[in-house]
Amino acid sequence: MSAEVAVIAVDGGELSLGSGLLALVRPALNELECGGMLAVLSQASSVREDLPSWCRADRHEYLGFETIAEGVDRHLIERGQFSIPRPTADGEASLAPSDGKLTASDVLRVSPLPSNADPFTGFAPRGARVEPGGPAYPFTLNEREHVAPPEVAKLYDQAVNAQWDATRDIPWEKVKPLPFPLAAALSQVMTFLAENELSALYVPARFIPRIHPAYAEVAMFLASQLADEARHIDVFLKRARLCGVGLGTSSVTTSRSLLSLLQTEDFTEAAFLLSVLGEGTFLDLLSFIERYAPDEATRELVSRARNDESRHVHFGLAHVRYGLANDPNLYGRLESAVRRRAAALHGVGGVPAPLQDALTILAAGSAEPRAVARGHEAFRELLETMHLSRIRRLEYAGFTSQQAETISELHTPNFM
Amino acid sequence: MANDKIILLGAVAYDPKVVTIWEGIRKHFQEQGSPMDFALFSNYERQVEELLKGHIDIAWNTPLAHVRVRQRTNNGSLSLGMRDSDRDFCAKVITRRDSGIKSLSDLEGKTLAVGSSDSTQARILPLYFIAKEGIDLSRIKLLPFDTDLGKHGDTGTSEIDVLKALHDGRADAGTVGDLIWVNEQAAGHVDSSKVEVLWTTPGFDHCMFDAHPSVAPENVESFKRALFAMKWDNPRHRRLLELEGLREWLPPREEGYQSLQEALEQQSPQ
Repeated sequence: MSAEVAVIAVDGGELSLGSGLLALVRPALNELECGGMLAVLSQASSVREDLPSWCRADRHEYLGFETIAEGVDRHLIERGQFSIPRPTADGEASLAPSDGKLTASDVLRVSPLPSNADPFTGFAPRGARVEPGGPAYPFTLNEREHVAPPEVAKLYDQAVNAQWDATRDIPWEKVKPLPFPLAAALSQVMTFLAENELSALYVPARFIPRIHPAYAEVAMFLASQLADEARHIDVFLKRARLCGVGLGTSSVTTSRSLLSLLQTEDFTEAAFLLSVLGEGTFLDLLSFIERYAPDEATRELVSRARNDESRHVHFGLAHVRYGLANDPNLYGRLESAVRRRAAALHGVGGVPAPLQDALTILAAGSAEPRAVARGHEAFRELLETMHLSRIRRLEYAGFTSQQAETISELHTPNFM
Repeated sequence: MANDKIILLGAVAYDPKVVTIWEGIRKHFQEQGSPMDFALFSNYERQVEELLKGHIDIAWNTPLAHVRVRQRTNNGSLSLGMRDSDRDFCAKVITRRDSGIKSLSDLEGKTLAVGSSDSTQARILPLYFIAKEGIDLSRIKLLPFDTDLGKHGDTGTSEIDVLKALHDGRADAGTVGDLIWVNEQAAGHVDSSKVEVLWTTPGFDHCMFDAHPSVAPENVESFKRALFAMKWDNPRHRRLLELEGLREWLPPREEGYQSLQEALEQQSPQ
């Protein structure tokens, strides 16, 4: 036995095996390759009895001890074969803040997203040393190109920074009583928004458990999206109730449209239908409501919701664009998804009547016939704006203008 | 359903997990093309008798059961394999720090807690090895914990009882197996200010697969092939190996049972 072969040494002082010695021994063994040597200095005579037995239990080779000074033993252990393997590749680059900040993008630079994820790493954070022999996890989204566009870190940081408080950040005291037709119209619009935002809460939530944790940033971004939707549901329903006329109507058109969204089983198809087409269309709807909002509180809450939605659209577009760039078959799949949904909604009619009427009255600002005519015109313009914006987004995602035109026309009359 | 090609293995149901273990191993054996079924017994005495009658082909035996099978078959039984953890087992003599016991000879006149009378590691061999060191056992007051008799110490309850008696001050010293002792310490269940290890016995070997002398050689080979194909880094195998307390199956060796044979010969009336 010679001290020269030991590559690591720990000084256990008077610690016995049962009083903390293992907290020094185990991490030190963890730093060694299989077959590497650890020297343990100890002034506790019980360690002579216990360390060999512990090595047997933990499958390390106990090589013996020698007394190197009065009352001090040096034990030698050879690391066994069943320990957690050390990473073969070089470790991560070190993470450093810039301007006192640490962003998700900084983290991605030192710990990039893998192109494929291993089901056996489970919930182990990306970059952790994973003990082999663990169970396989049932995640189904295990490929970067189907899950994780490069923009995700930036969008996650923006989302965290943009969180707001539905209780205190809206000037609720500015809400004034409205005359009946306007009050009923605003309550209807807010009811419709809340119903659709509930679907936008549930649909992405279905996919989070399918995303491999190697792409945790995507799950984290979606978590921020869920928090956004929760807040939107909250403010829209508060505003509806402040109208003092009860909530509006939920139409079968909306119900069918949202069910078909909820039943979409593919993550990219769902992101396309919900975020690119649905929330994309909602951006124009929210601009419209903001423009005709009867008070500052309504303007503020709609404007804040629109900012959040625009982030969701951005992520949805990034997701779809990334997928399309890597998988040429995706075009056909996404178009089919839109066609299937359109077929399922065939014959439901146009925009739900209660919503159409409410938007018209809201834009009119009163029930006075000439004002209603202006409101009706504004509504028609809204539909056209929505169509053109959808085409623009679809083209940005990578569709041809003809594909974009077709898909936009097939989009649900429910907007979402 | 009896089929000569299907090996029938006996194991003792000392814990509900035994069903999980053998169902999993049975499935693995099937996948390996070595069909195997198992029968569970409530005690090793019955399992040994059924093996000797040829009612089962192979028994998963404790050292005590293994030594009995060797004796009763005049060493005609076939030893097939053991766990890595079965090799170089030891027993420990643990003392209370306030007992004044500094060496084995100080045990005389003191109370020594010991495990079940059929536990190799907590009673039979530690007492044998202590006596071999020249200590007069008749001068030690034994505090026995005869729990789960027939299970040969598999449940470990008598060893936990020994450690508890030591912590409570009902005994000055006690004997337990080395795995329980280091695992209880590693888990933080041992108060090092009250108890410490005094002595470690020489090593001995533990469990063994014993086959009846008449089992067909091809069945023996097929059993060993499937057994040694279990791997720690395979998640499905690993769960079973963890439950059974091993990381790899190893070939048999007989020299590790010498001390137990001697101990039993000394204890039984000649």
